[in-house]
Amino acid sequence: MQQAAGRSRPIPSLRRSQSRLTADSYCIHRIIEDPEWSLAAVPQLTELCLQHIVHNFTQNPILDRLLPEHQRKVLDRLPTDLPLAVTANLVSDEDYWKRCCTERWQVCDISGYGDSWKRMFFERHLENILKSFVPNTTDPNQVLELIPLCKDYVRKLEVDQFLPPLKVDPEEEADDISDSGSDLGLGEVPIHHYDLGALVTALPYLEELHLTYGVKDCGMNFEWNLFKFTYQDCCNLAGAVKKCHKLKVFKLTRSNVDDDKTKLLVRSLLDHPSLLALNLSHNLIGDTGAQAVGKLINRSKLETLDLCNNKIHHAGAQALAQALAQNCTLTSLNLRLNYLGDEGGEAMGRALLANTTLKSIHLGSNMLSEPSAVLLSQVLAQNATLTSINLSCNHIGPDGGKQLLEGLAGNKTLTEFDLRLAEVGQENEFLIGQMLWANRHATRLAPQPQPPAEPL
Amino acid sequence: MRRGAGAEEAPRGQAPTPAPIPIPTPISAPQDPDSDPDPGPGPEERIAARRRRIAARLDAKRRQALGEDEEPKEEVEEEEEERRSHKEVEESQQRLAKLLFEGTQMVTNIQVAADSRETQRRAEEAELKQQRLKKLENEAKSSAYEFEKIASKWALAEDVTVPQELWQLLNQQQQQCALLLEEKNKLIGELQQELKNKDEQYVQAMKKQSDDIHLLLERMEEQIRIMLKTYRHKLHHIEKAFEFERRELLDSNRKKWEEAIQAHNTKELEYLHARMRKVEEFEKQLNQLRVQDEEEYNSMKIQLENDVQNLERQLQQTKAAYLLNQEKLEYNLLVLKKQDEENTIIRSQQKRKINRLHSSLNNLRTKLDKQEKQFREENQSLAADCERITGQCKEVQKRMRHFAASDAEKFTELWLMNEEEAKRLMRKALDADRIIHTQQLGLPWEQPRHWFLNNIGPLRRCKAKRMATKLAAEVLAESSCGGEEEKAKEEEKEKEEVGFGEGGKENIAKAEKEDVSDRERRKESTAKAGDRVTPLPNISKKTTKRILELLSDESGFLIERKLLRPLRALGKHERTLLRLDSIFSALEINSEDELQRLVDFFLKCKAQEEPLSQGSPSGEDVTDLGEDRAGSEAGARSAELKPPQGPLGSLPSACIHADDVLRILKAFVRGFDKPREKTRAAKEALQVRDSSEDGEYWEALAHVIPETTLKLWDALLVALEEYYNVLTRRAGLLAELAELQQQNLELCLMLERCSTSGVSLGSLQTGDTEL
Repeated sequence: MQQAAGRSRPIPSLRRSQSRLTADSYCIHRIIEDPEWSLAAVPQLTELCLQHIVHNFTQNPILDRLLPEHQRKVLDRLPTDLPLAVTANLVSDEDYWKRCCTERWQVCDISGYGDSWKRMFFERHLENILKSFVPNTTDPNQVLELIPLCKDYVRKLEVDQFLPPLKVDPEEEADDISDSGSDLGLGEVPIHHYDLGALVTALPYLEELHLTYGVKDCGMNFEWNLFKFTYQDCCNLAGAVKKCHKLKVFKLTRSNVDDDKTKLLVRSLLDHPSLLALNLSHNLIGDTGAQAVGKLINRSKLETLDLCNNKIHHAGAQALAQALAQNCTLTSLNLRLNYLGDEGGEAMGRALLANTTLKSIHLGSNMLSEPSAVLLSQVLAQNATLTSINLSCNHIGPDGGKQLLEGLAGNKTLTEFDLRLAEVGQENEFLIGQMLWANRHATRLAPQPQPPAEPL
Repeated sequence: MRRGAGAEEAPRGQAPTPAPIPIPTPISAPQDPDSDPDPGPGPEERIAARRRRIAARLDAKRRQALGEDEEPKEEVEEEEEERRSHKEVEESQQRLAKLLFEGTQMVTNIQVAADSRETQRRAEEAELKQQRLKKLENEAKSSAYEFEKIASKWALAEDVTVPQELWQLLNQQQQQCALLLEEKNKLIGELQQELKNKDEQYVQAMKKQSDDIHLLLERMEEQIRIMLKTYRHKLHHIEKAFEFERRELLDSNRKKWEEAIQAHNTKELEYLHARMRKVEEFEKQLNQLRVQDEEEYNSMKIQLENDVQNLERQLQQTKAAYLLNQEKLEYNLLVLKKQDEENTIIRSQQKRKINRLHSSLNNLRTKLDKQEKQFREENQSLAADCERITGQCKEVQKRMRHFAASDAEKFTELWLMNEEEAKRLMRKALDADRIIHTQQLGLPWEQPRHWFLNNIGPLRRCKAKRMATKLAAEVLAESSCGGEEEKAKEEEKEKEEVGFGEGGKENIAKAEKEDVSDRERRKESTAKAGDRVTPLPNISKKTTKRILELLSDESGFLIERKLLRPLRALGKHERTLLRLDSIFSALEINSEDELQRLVDFFLKCKAQEEPLSQGSPSGEDVTDLGEDRAGSEAGARSAELKPPQGPLGSLPSACIHADDVLRILKAFVRGFDKPREKTRAAKEALQVRDSSEDGEYWEALAHVIPETTLKLWDALLVALEEYYNVLTRRAGLLAELAELQQQNLELCLMLERCSTSGVSLGSLQTGDTEL
């Protein structure tokens, strides 16, 4: 009875409220009697708010406090030309950075940047700034301001051009290019490139440094000065590299690095805690430079060394070979396009007899001939770690080819053996190729006997 | 010039020889003649070889599997079947790898070609450079020579004074200078030409490089295209193969499944039929059972009704009996109630009585306690008295012993004094005898040998107790020697007896023993010569020996450890002896008596075990002897031991079993202490000696000179007296003679004096002769 009474009471109140509601809706209904009106056309308040946030993102960057779906929407709408100071440390969304990258550059391959669009954006942005940096004219703060923004994301720096400082002499500019170049080179104070020291030491995660001291696309404005890598530059670079403790890969190519500069660089790289790969290809390194590099091999953790297209003769090769015989970290060595000759080739062969870590060696275009082949055949018979040898463009001759074939007969590890243009004769080359196929097959089967069973 | 020497990477000059690699068109890419010198048989051969290798590998695997377990052979077969897809994968993998290799080979061919061109160019460049340098040097040399020539002429010009000549000379000089300059210019022109050539070459090289790069790109694209195509193709193939396999597998599985389902259905149907049949059967059975049960029920009902009637009847009967019984019981109840009342009265009476008795009992108890106390006190006083008395007794005994000892001492002193005197006298007599014999009779005299001659002190009646071990040794030795030796011993004894009179070499103990035994033997008429020697007279020698041997064998545990080793080295007899010695020392058996008791004990135990009535008369003698000995030597032997002695001696010695030895020994040791105490006390009291033989001794001393000698002495006395008379007479005569001779002499003197006168002499002489 009471319950029934209790129930009966709220009902009238409900009715009362309903009646009030109907009264209100009646008023609204009156306002929009337009039959074409529909609720879908009215933007929601959240939408409007988000729009506002996006418009005023520079002044008031609110992102963290939004709900996830709203964050998503904001990020999708953010313009890509926002100042980096706002976005750099706030936005970590990959899609946004992807938009930034694709708008700025046509070709974007993030596989080289650890699959991170943000990293790619910052690295390339920094690289662009460095490439267009002109000493004494460009404000160095342009770089320094960027450091706090990008220091957490930059792992690799790949700068293939360093502009020299501008020379302010219109007369000479008008003169014959060659003359002015010669005059400039002799007369003016040495011109230095941008000093990487301040930048490199401020990047805590820098692991790779690829540098080329030169000017790209100079066209008819060619001057020797544009490609000058001064001693001062080298000193600066050496100091910067020395302070960069996380550096793993260091490339300095096509920069006219001669023996003295090599020595200077090597001195700063001795006992580097993390350096794994060193590339000094396409330079002017001679025998003394090679000797310095040989010293470096055994006083670092180097695994890859590229010295291709230098001027290393037999003396340098012997120094390298000596270092190689004692080394146990180096796995790859490239000496393409040098002047080793048979003397250097034999020294290398002897070193390979003792070495047990090197996996790949490139001795192409080194004026090697039969004596080197004899020694290398011994290496092939004894060494069980080498997987790749390149002897292309040498004058080994058919007899040397036969020797190599004999040496290869007992080898089970070698999978690549390049003898193109080595004049070893078609028969030898064919037989060697067959042996290599066998070895390749064996190595392919050996480490993975399981996978064929999986599809079952 | 500068550009030519520049370190440009791209090869500048096109090599004069044709390009080392004839670059093939991209369409014919897969069969690049340079990278693959023998393209025709290559792939097929390689594939075949690869297949062969795979087959061999599989074979080896299968063999290995067979070696390990035989069963999975079938599985291997199945796998073989299934591996078609794998083969497909493998094959495509090979093909793709080859394709990839060839493609990269082709792409890198361009680089290699460029490299080789570069090296060639470098070599040529170096050569050209050298030539150029040489040329320049030559030119410099020749021009320097020319210049010197010109310069030397300048000096000559200074000497020339004639203007025409000077002009001429100057002209000449000018011409020569022009020549020199021309040559230089020519050289410069040549070099510039070369530079231009180089520029052209550079341009060509650039072009070549761009061509190369284009080619490279083309090839790469081609490569990518081909690879994509083949990958897709292969993927398709592999997928097809897999799908095919899957379909097959599905088909077979479905087939199997359907078969199984069908089988299952038929079985289910069968089961259903069987079930129906069974249901019908059971219904039939049920009906049958129902009919049967109904019949049974009816019969049972009738029976039960009958039973009910019977039971009702019985119930009525029992009801009647119940009524009867009830009356009886009521009566009984009344009787019992009355009895109960009586009983209560009696019980109260009894209770009273019990109380009374209890009080009396308590009184008596108190009395008893009192009395007990009294008696205990009495007992204590009496015990104290007893103790006192025993103490007194002991003191008296001690005193007595002391007196006895002093008496004995005195006695011995007296004895010694008297004996000394007697001996002196005897010696005197003997001396006299000797003198008589040697001097008077002229006969050889011999020292008489008598036992008593050497005796000093009182005669000891009791034979010195031989040590137990000695006794045992004797027993053993004798018994081991056997009967013959016994006889021999007997003879020896007799001999000794005979020789008694002759020498006193033997020690006193032995002599005494012999003497005693001799006397005993004499005393006993029975011929117990053999037994005489045995120390234990009442027990046969053999038995004793047997017992002793048993002891030595069985009680080895009593022997000291360190003794055992040296024992082994000895002979059997000695070993037994030594063992016995140590056993006796362990059992504290020292004297003959104790040993005897031990043997007796043994025999007794035996006898108790086998209570045979062996009181045979043959044992009497032994008993007599034993008693005699016991009486004379060890009178303290306890009376308990005596009775069984007789029969014991004749017991067969072998009766004692080796196993019993220990038990008997234990019992003996337990009972040994008591008798020993007794014996010790008795021994002291028994120091009293009997003087029965003293007289004899003294007699003997007195009669040291035998009767015959005395008689001889008497006769000698008579004869000597006679001889004395003769001699006295003769002495008288001699004196007479001497007197006469004196007279004669005097007469002679007188005669002479007379003769001097002459006449008187003759007359005198005649008177003399007449005298």
